[in-house]
Amino acid sequence: MLERRLYFHIDWALLLAVLTLCGLGVAMIYSTTSDPTRGVSRLHITQIYAIIIGLGAMVVTLSLDYRTFTDKSHLVYITLVGLLLYVIFFGTVQMGARRWIALGSYNLQPSEFAKIGVALVLAKYFGENRGVPAWGDLILAGVLTLIPLALIAKEPDLGTAVTLLPVLAAVAFVAGMRTRILGILAVCVLVAAPIAWKFALKDYQKSRISTFLDPSQDPKGAGYQQIQAQITVGSGGLTGKGFRRGTQGQLRFLPVAHNDFIFSVLAEEQGFAGVLVALGLYLFVILRALEAARLSKDRLGSYLVLGVLASFTFQVIYNITMSAGLAPVKGLTLPLMSYGGSSMIATLAGFGLILNVRMRRFTN
Amino acid sequence: MALPEDRRALSSRLGTLQYLIAVVFSVLAVSFWVLQVAQHEKYAELAENNNQRTLALRAPRGVVFDRNGQVLVENRHSYSISILREHTKDLNRTVQLLATLLGFEERSVREIVDRHRREPSYRPIVIVQDATLHQVAAVTARRLELPDVVIEQVPTRQYPDRMAAHLFGYVGEVNDAQIAGNDELKSGDVVGQSGIEKIYNDLLMGDDGARVVVVNSVGREIRTLEEQPPTEGKRLQLTIDYDVQKAVEDGFKALGYNGAAVLLDPRSGDVLAFTSIPAYDPNAFASGIDRATWAALNTDEDRPLNDRAIQGRYSPGSTFKMAVATAALEEGVITPDFKVHCGGSATFYGNSFKCWKAGGHGTMDLRHAIEQSCNVYFYTVGNMTGIDRIHKWASLLGLGEKSFIDLPNEIQGLVPSTAWKREKLNERWYPGETISVAIGQGQVSVTPVSMAVYMATLANGGTRVTPRLLKAVDDGTGWKEVPAPAPQSKVEIHETTLQAIRDGLWMVVNQAGTGRNALLKGYDVGGKTGTAQVISLEGLRAAKGKTTRNLADHGWFVFLAPRDNPQVAGVIFAEHGEHGSTAAIVARHALDTFFAKKEGRPLPPPPPKRGEPGAPAAPAVPLEGDDPPPTRIAENAVSSQPRP
Repeated sequence: MLERRLYFHIDWALLLAVLTLCGLGVAMIYSTTSDPTRGVSRLHITQIYAIIIGLGAMVVTLSLDYRTFTDKSHLVYITLVGLLLYVIFFGTVQMGARRWIALGSYNLQPSEFAKIGVALVLAKYFGENRGVPAWGDLILAGVLTLIPLALIAKEPDLGTAVTLLPVLAAVAFVAGMRTRILGILAVCVLVAAPIAWKFALKDYQKSRISTFLDPSQDPKGAGYQQIQAQITVGSGGLTGKGFRRGTQGQLRFLPVAHNDFIFSVLAEEQGFAGVLVALGLYLFVILRALEAARLSKDRLGSYLVLGVLASFTFQVIYNITMSAGLAPVKGLTLPLMSYGGSSMIATLAGFGLILNVRMRRFTN
Repeated sequence: MALPEDRRALSSRLGTLQYLIAVVFSVLAVSFWVLQVAQHEKYAELAENNNQRTLALRAPRGVVFDRNGQVLVENRHSYSISILREHTKDLNRTVQLLATLLGFEERSVREIVDRHRREPSYRPIVIVQDATLHQVAAVTARRLELPDVVIEQVPTRQYPDRMAAHLFGYVGEVNDAQIAGNDELKSGDVVGQSGIEKIYNDLLMGDDGARVVVVNSVGREIRTLEEQPPTEGKRLQLTIDYDVQKAVEDGFKALGYNGAAVLLDPRSGDVLAFTSIPAYDPNAFASGIDRATWAALNTDEDRPLNDRAIQGRYSPGSTFKMAVATAALEEGVITPDFKVHCGGSATFYGNSFKCWKAGGHGTMDLRHAIEQSCNVYFYTVGNMTGIDRIHKWASLLGLGEKSFIDLPNEIQGLVPSTAWKREKLNERWYPGETISVAIGQGQVSVTPVSMAVYMATLANGGTRVTPRLLKAVDDGTGWKEVPAPAPQSKVEIHETTLQAIRDGLWMVVNQAGTGRNALLKGYDVGGKTGTAQVISLEGLRAAKGKTTRNLADHGWFVFLAPRDNPQVAGVIFAEHGEHGSTAAIVARHALDTFFAKKEGRPLPPPPPKRGEPGAPAAPAVPLEGDDPPPTRIAENAVSSQPRP
């Protein structure tokens, strides 16, 4: 299976950075959830289990040649669509959304794995196409993306559904799609959004946008979270309030701190210094993965890396922007750091594929 | 490497992505720098506002004791429930839920909130001031849904016995004018608004403490950062004697009249008892009086908020005769043996003035003239003395002057003089007017408290003591006596004058006079009744059957005891009591209690209510020595049936 020589080609630096981020996440989860006055919480232990299972999944996605996975991508894709359908009809309901499949005492969230499924199927589709993709290719790829997207949006989980779009955009873009201008525009919007949010838009426009993005969301509630997120980050200062000494997260002014707002907690307790370290690690991970795409021996590998990386990058950027109160509050977690088993396992499995592509760059 | 061109295109696009990612991360880093470093101060403060709350620890007001250490006014714990809008997300929801939990109309809660809407949001809006335990429990149970509702324990003033309401006064939230006048006061403070509570507010008010606590997002207190305990207000000891005060109140209850009473120690000016009836319940103010109760108090025809003892002005009637006697004796106009013949009426300056006794009293000296309350005697003596000398001596005795008792809003009575009439009406004084003044009619008006001073001055021989309520103060280091205030004036009245007047007063109670209801064997009570006209006879005839207002005359009883070396002096004023002899019943019970306590005897039981067996008989009319004003004589003759 895993040939001995391949072992030496594993990108240990990338793996180390990924694990460091996981560790930071566990520490922050511990900080916000283990409040002695509210009973013992074991969320950080659960997260460690998720990391271990995730590493197991990574070994699996690392061991076989990535081409084996892309060859079977249609099966993976169909299985995932089936699971998403199953969720819609039989899923477990929590907080008003049907997103989970109950597995004993754990809940599996298939939408997290859908990202990998879409990355695999799109990598295969564009990788087998020689030459510049035509309009027809884009439409077919669009349909392949929109099926799971629609199913996830129906749960409803608009946030996760939207993360499938960058997968399509990124793969299409590097595949040489002539709609590059559109692609660039999309990225521009991504960059411009937080700036516009903060400076250009009036309050009523902001609330209109957030209502547009998700009508079910209570604007007053979202506004409250946004303000609290900003206070949390801003009050952290240069060096932070210290581990487990944040007031905003510890005293629960910031809702779901261990989940959507884990980065705010980091900013509060570790300050700007901690933020720079975490940002640096994420930037390193992303650039290092792009490096893997560049080094890939075939286009299929590059596209696969890009597909996996796209939803990851999108989520990282959006979540960090949101955690500073600079973007509308959406239920998007921060990959590698936020609490959540399915997301952790799927993300680590995805990084397995990225490592896979890089270490097999010399094999035929 | 089959398609290097394709490869290059891929490579350049990856490069573009790398560049974009780097830019995005730089923007993020800069954004965090702006929030965390450049604007740190602002957000640090906001975070602190979030999780730190300063709770006022209300200082209890000082406890008030009577002269023997009996508690008169104390504090109890009560709970107030307020909305702190600073922490409100949805005021509507809070108002709705709170109204349901408290069992209030939603509208009334909203009204309270609206009234305070313009105040800063960090100032709690008190919804219930004295919440029931049931309400506190209901709100506490829904704590998580109401992070913006605060339950505070506040010390609340308590007046255990329903007595002397006007003396204690009441407390209430400080108003804007009071804040403007005193730097120490801040909005929301509770201050005295009348009575002792007001005049000694600076002593009684403590210093509020504060507690800074860390709270979580649902308002639960996590820990205390800082605590400054409150300092209780100073404790006050009053000159009031609880038992004598209670005796006066019981006496009025038995009598069934409204009125006022003041009992003084004539040697020091110590106020032993002080009341005005009808009273209000100061407890109702302590926990924030509701509008309906306040409106009812203000529109009540009996005017319960009015302190009759210091704010009621009435004609003194026959009780004024001792002032005329003092003036005549001290100015050397007459001696106690000076005799006048009363034939039932006398003519002065062309007008006939009647005595109350149609057949006349015959010839009598001063002592008997006081005993019998002979009008003709005092017409004659008053006429000889003249208005200005009457005015001078009445003032020296305390009539027509403020007593300067340590209570707010005392008003001044009036004893006329030529100077007064010239100044006020720009008219000459007609000697004929003196005749009415000589029997306490006409322009003379006095407050009950000044009557008490008048009797105290006659009792102590000429020192117009200043009545005082505050005996001692304890600021936590032990009781310190408060020096008695200086007397308002001091003259040496001749012993012969004093003896003649006191003898006359003694005869009123112990011999053939109208004060027999105050008779207390072995204590030589001296006293004098008086009648203050409410309406003239002509007015009474005109108003008959046309008004529901009580038009019965007011009754006075002034007294001192014992006759030689008096230890207590005072006044009972019975509103619409018809005659002073009814008021004497109250005086007797108060004096009986005073002496019983002094001698360690068991205290006497309260007098039976009017109409009950054992009650002193209503005075028969006309009574020997009765003293209605002359205008009322004809009427008395008509209605000579016993009164109910």
